[in-house]
Amino acid sequence: MAKKKSSQQENATPIIVDEEEIATPEEDQTFKDLNEKLAKIRKNKGVIGYILRNTTSATIDLKEPEKMVEYAIFSSQVLDSSQEISDLFETGDVENVLIEGKENKVLCMKIDGNKISIFMEKGADAADIQKQISP
Amino acid sequence: MENEVYAFALKNTLQEIQNACPEVTSNFIFKDGKVIAKNKNTEQETATQTIEAFDAIAERADPIGDLESITIQSAEGKVNIAAMEEFYLTTVSSKEADEKYVNTLTRILIPIVIKLSEKIQPASLDNETSTTEPEPEPKEDDAYEASEENFGLNEDETENNETNEMDQPEEEEPAMPEPEPADEEPEIDDEPLLPEPPVTQLIVENLGGLLVPSDTVRVDQDVITRWNELYGDNKIKEVEVEALNGKTTRCKFKNIKKSKDTGKGIVKMPEKIQLTLETQQGELVTIKPIIE
Repeated sequence: MAKKKSSQQENATPIIVDEEEIATPEEDQTFKDLNEKLAKIRKNKGVIGYILRNTTSATIDLKEPEKMVEYAIFSSQVLDSSQEISDLFETGDVENVLIEGKENKVLCMKIDGNKISIFMEKGADAADIQKQISP
Repeated sequence: MENEVYAFALKNTLQEIQNACPEVTSNFIFKDGKVIAKNKNTEQETATQTIEAFDAIAERADPIGDLESITIQSAEGKVNIAAMEEFYLTTVSSKEADEKYVNTLTRILIPIVIKLSEKIQPASLDNETSTTEPEPEPKEDDAYEASEENFGLNEDETENNETNEMDQPEEEEPAMPEPEPADEEPEIDDEPLLPEPPVTQLIVENLGGLLVPSDTVRVDQDVITRWNELYGDNKIKEVEVEALNGKTTRCKFKNIKKSKDTGKGIVKMPEKIQLTLETQQGELVTIKPIIE
């Protein structure tokens, strides 16, 4: 038993906490505000769901919860790749990204360290939703 | 070859878009992960890396279906990647750019050029065997670069290909299937030479006798002379006679033999034709030549 304990302690992965990555109280407040706005937007016609996350918290509300991981990975990829593209053309920090697919579309935004992805049907008014969520 | 035709047409279009809208800082077109055409401002490496980033998104796009467009709004500009036919057009514009104007330009021009290139394609392939003799003017051309970089051609090959493309607009004209205009030409040439057949009003006179053919009218020689003057060598074998009731018939004609009947404005008509026209002696008919 003693040997086992020793082994577990040796294999434990140390968690390095980067202070910069921890959400500040301001970010937390923004997160709460955004969460409230998104909850309202979720009721809009044509909105399929949303993902809101910052470095410490995340809220996911989707029509198809079983596809949550798929949506989350896609959402993350969109913001990362968009920033890459923006850096290539030196157009600065990404503010929002609208991606239209054959079936649905997604609006991704960055607001005060919070990353938002709102999934909607093709006919939904993305510009209006963007207005609702913008500070 | 296919991509090179597109490259030539699209490269010029991209450059024109930028000329028309200087706020467009960079633009390029790609297909299947390869840059097909780009404007002068766009670095090949930048375009390639953009495609990689785009592919990374596209691979995970199942939640929304096949990608149609991506619009990235950044602090100092905008990047738009839009699907057009089988191609993707990337447009980078500054914040000052009129989005509607840029979209109108790109979303109308590019699909038109793509479709035109598709139509030119068969003609260019047909002409591929005829190598070009005249050397085109040396020209700084990004399509040339794109062809070289993306299709693995050596410099000579690329030059020849470009030369072929440069000549296509001239060569394609005879290659275009236009049988209809060719057929129409003779008609157009003939029509202006022939004036409208003159209509002459005459009074019906009976024509009888044993040897008189029943399908021939006799017309005043002066009238026939006028027709001959008008139509020269064109043969007039028949005339169209129309009665006042609107009934018409075509029949042969000859000149009036008896000199006493000439110059009186009469047409001598056998009974059979009178019956057909439901007319009779003393009534007016109109007569005009039928030009063969």
